[in-house]
Amino acid sequence: MSQPTPPPAPGSSDRIAPLATARSLAMAIGPPALALCIILMLIPPTRTVIYPAYLVGYVFWFGIALGGASLTMLHHLTGGTWGLLIRRPLEAAALTIIPLAILFVPLLFGLDVLYPWARAGGADEPLIAHKAGYLNPTAFALRAAFYFGLWILLAWLINRGTDRQDQTSDRAPSRSLARISAPGLGLVFLTATFAAIDWMMSLEPDWYSSIYGAMLITGWGLATFAAMTLVAAALRSQPELRPVARPRVFQDLASLMLAFVMLWAYTSFMQYLIIWSGNLSEEIPWYLRRSRGGWQLFVAILILFHFLAPFLLLLMRDLKRRADWLLGFSAAILGLHLIDTIWLILPAQVRDPLSPQVGLPILQLLLVLVATAGIGGLCVSFFLDRLARRPLMPLHDPAVDGLAHLRDDETDDQTEAYPAPAPTPRA
Amino acid sequence: MAQATLRHDETGDVPVLGPGHTYGTVTDKISSIVLTEPPRPGWIFGFAVSFVLLLMFLFAVLNLLVRGIGIWGVNVPIGWGFDIVNFVWWIGIGHAGTLISAILLLLRQDWRTSINRFAEAMTLFAVSCAGLYPLLHLGRPWLFYWLLPYPNTMALWPQWRSPLIFDVFAVSTYATVSLLFWYVGLIPDLATLRDRAKSRIGKVIYGFLAMGWRGSARHWHRYRTAYLLLAGLATPLVVSVHTIVALDFTVGIIPGWHTTIFPPYFVAGAIYSGFAMVLTLSIPLRSYYGLKDFITDKHLDNMAKVMLVTGLIVTYGYLMEAFMAWYGGNPYEEFMILKDRPTGPYAHTWWLLLLCNCTIVQLFWFRYFRTHPIWLWVISIVINIGMWLERYVIVVTSLHADFLPSSWGMYHGTIWDYMTYYGSIGLFLTLLFLFIRVLPVISITEMRELVHEVHERGHARGGPAVTPGTAHP
Amino acid sequence: MSSESIYQTHTRDALPPSAVPRIYGLMAEFLQPDQVVQAAKAAYAAGYRQMDAFSPMPVEGLAEAIGFRRNRLPLVVLIGGLTGAVTALFLQWFSAVVHYPIIVGGRPFASWPAFIPVTFELTVLFAAFGAVFGLLALNGLPRPHHPVFNSPNFALASRSRFFLCIQANDRHFDLDKTEQFLRALNPREITVVEA
Repeated sequence: MSQPTPPPAPGSSDRIAPLATARSLAMAIGPPALALCIILMLIPPTRTVIYPAYLVGYVFWFGIALGGASLTMLHHLTGGTWGLLIRRPLEAAALTIIPLAILFVPLLFGLDVLYPWARAGGADEPLIAHKAGYLNPTAFALRAAFYFGLWILLAWLINRGTDRQDQTSDRAPSRSLARISAPGLGLVFLTATFAAIDWMMSLEPDWYSSIYGAMLITGWGLATFAAMTLVAAALRSQPELRPVARPRVFQDLASLMLAFVMLWAYTSFMQYLIIWSGNLSEEIPWYLRRSRGGWQLFVAILILFHFLAPFLLLLMRDLKRRADWLLGFSAAILGLHLIDTIWLILPAQVRDPLSPQVGLPILQLLLVLVATAGIGGLCVSFFLDRLARRPLMPLHDPAVDGLAHLRDDETDDQTEAYPAPAPTPRA
Repeated sequence: MAQATLRHDETGDVPVLGPGHTYGTVTDKISSIVLTEPPRPGWIFGFAVSFVLLLMFLFAVLNLLVRGIGIWGVNVPIGWGFDIVNFVWWIGIGHAGTLISAILLLLRQDWRTSINRFAEAMTLFAVSCAGLYPLLHLGRPWLFYWLLPYPNTMALWPQWRSPLIFDVFAVSTYATVSLLFWYVGLIPDLATLRDRAKSRIGKVIYGFLAMGWRGSARHWHRYRTAYLLLAGLATPLVVSVHTIVALDFTVGIIPGWHTTIFPPYFVAGAIYSGFAMVLTLSIPLRSYYGLKDFITDKHLDNMAKVMLVTGLIVTYGYLMEAFMAWYGGNPYEEFMILKDRPTGPYAHTWWLLLLCNCTIVQLFWFRYFRTHPIWLWVISIVINIGMWLERYVIVVTSLHADFLPSSWGMYHGTIWDYMTYYGSIGLFLTLLFLFIRVLPVISITEMRELVHEVHERGHARGGPAVTPGTAHP
Repeated sequence: MSSESIYQTHTRDALPPSAVPRIYGLMAEFLQPDQVVQAAKAAYAAGYRQMDAFSPMPVEGLAEAIGFRRNRLPLVVLIGGLTGAVTALFLQWFSAVVHYPIIVGGRPFASWPAFIPVTFELTVLFAAFGAVFGLLALNGLPRPHHPVFNSPNFALASRSRFFLCIQANDRHFDLDKTEQFLRALNPREITVVEA
């Protein structure tokens, strides 16, 4: 993909060797996988299996893009050294909403496969007819266009603001970033909720849950933290990141992941407990579909490895300070987040994934991997390209002031290069 | 005592501690309120008013015990009235204390230092008020122990699937852990008071409570660990308590109660009202006792921001509830949320609640309203009222018109309901006035740490070097 | 602390009881937290082990400087939390499934989802008990009196001063030499603490 030209000018995308390698890998996997998806979408018998798989892969990467924008804005509001380490990856991830907006278009041609309300005669059922004004293909597309317009605008604004911040030591760009971040975060939360309702909840249009948006958003937040920690851990030895790639900062990132693991478990369990207690015929089928025919295996995996194991591991301070350990951990969390996304989406279509008669479910799970790789290949290479174009650390962020403090805290840390206090001579 | 002229540093931030303080001055300033000052006229007046309200509360409760809960306005179909509204309101107020103490400690927000002690005390007193209501609602409160799991001759056990039993455990755990957290935080300050008390009785009482604390380095090390661990435990606990209060409603399938967004937005609402109460109390406190060096404009600004965030979350909750009432297509839910509440017999409470909780808080987008104490104080009172109304709307409207029109009814609080409600505010304020007189309202220990930290930072920036240990002989 | 009784028997063996006033240790007083940390480090480097430092607030690194290594409190809290979780789960399962099974709302006897809130609350409660009572027990509190309170200026340890006390039961303790050693650390004052 890239020629071995060495000049390390900040504008060039091949400036940082690991990024260039990863990017050529993503470019090798992404386009062929995506092409396969598109071909399968065009063949009538296979479009029924590819569309759900494509939606899973799409939502997986979409969550990280939206999380990138949200967490960038969160950092502009709260500050903190954790943000310095992942700010540039977050901003680059926020921009992947642009390729994702294009990759959303194929979904519009498969609405009838995915959504009962979009099928011929689908709106005749009284319960769906009641909300046909909201759930119809035109309104769906218009809303999606509005969401993407807003998200792209916000991603562009925060990236432009951060460029300005780099150019001047004046605080004005930082202040204006904070000013757009507060309303921006609120708008993203709201639009993401409705996107979750449109794209995922309406797969089963007779079912509803008011915590659904918040539950999805906490999951995406966790995935974003995992992805960003992975990038930061992989780049930890880059000289530019030296001031912030420190155990204390990785510990903070891991603690934030812990918070999101708990929030995800909280929102998921609350939805379950309330629906389980109510046991109403319009609510409980959503869980019944997701706890039989093999899907209970997914439930067990999610409880044990999406909550219990990460929760216990992230209580251990020594592990949280090790970037190499966090690298593998974050990758595992991302894998589990994919399983979570599968479990949320596919049972709407696939009732018995392990049933022996039909080979389709296994094929569908394989197609999920293809779609995830296809969409991911494009997003990741776009992300890596944007990431390499700028310094890896924001230069004039207000949080940079906190770095001096950070160094004081770690004088007792043996893994670091700072000298231990000189031994006092014996009296 | 320095005036509250705050030094703005180069980032335009207001510092969390006024200038010129040393370990000695913070100790003397805070402990003098307790040890040397005679009660001021304002304190005596406030205490007297609160005490009269408390007497009213005791009278109302006595009447309740004699005549039964029929004196309240509750009856079929509205079995939960002011008592549950007040329970939820008080327990919500009790959330800010633990939030400020625990979550802000974990987030390393040093501005928490000067308000956490006060907020924790507020938590304890609010939880005490809250806990009384379900007990009084039992009708025969002296049999409250039937709620607890203990082997008895009837072989009866609590109904573990009921959120009301979750409540018993949640509220009692919350009260206990808050008390422990507060007391652990107080121990070093009690030792300070013991060492500085002039009167014999003061020495004995503070000495007894300080348990022989002597500030040993080993003890401090374990102390810090214990405090951090308690904060780590209290954080999910505080979330769980209002979650379980939300489950009290959502587990039932009454229209307007059974919706999944309740737990998170109840927690946000609790924090919202809790911060409103902290502001309502601390704004007069800091001006009356001259504590503006410790509770600075920075604190007010930050608390207003927290209220803005939680207020927006609450608004999001209302929005989701309303949208799903329509989207879900359940006619009962749709009638309750979209018709009865905005246009039914209780419509005025609903509109007032939207005004108080969702509209007025938007003023906090502007710095002017976040930093002017008078505005903040007024808005915080408005929010307290709004959060009370929210619980009133949830409890009363949902019960007054459920599935069958033949079982609809109306509810209005009686004079005894109002006496118990205002009386419990008297109980709360009485405890708070006593607390101000006998214990340090600001953690002296943590203020010393703040002095140390401010000194170190000033040093690092090459600012004016205050040497915190030397100003006093 | 068992170390103090060792000191008492030791001096009783060595000297006639009435010959010298019984000494608990030497107390040096400092104005700044970093001074006391430096002093503690110096004393540790000089071989002193039986010592303690006192401060009006937690001082970063002070406990480590006097040689405090193992903090067992997190373990106590963990045990407390696990006890709470097991107690709650057992209590609910035993009462609802074994001792008095009764159908409520068509739910199974072992309604695990509904058992989780109470389990959580008891876990937190017992863990908090572990933290507080563990703290008191490991610190040996409540303890109404302690020899360090005999030191004249010690009331300031809860206000603005920092103290380092080298105890007489230390192997290297010698009234004169230890005093010289402390003197070299530039304290504001040195006092003898009577036992």
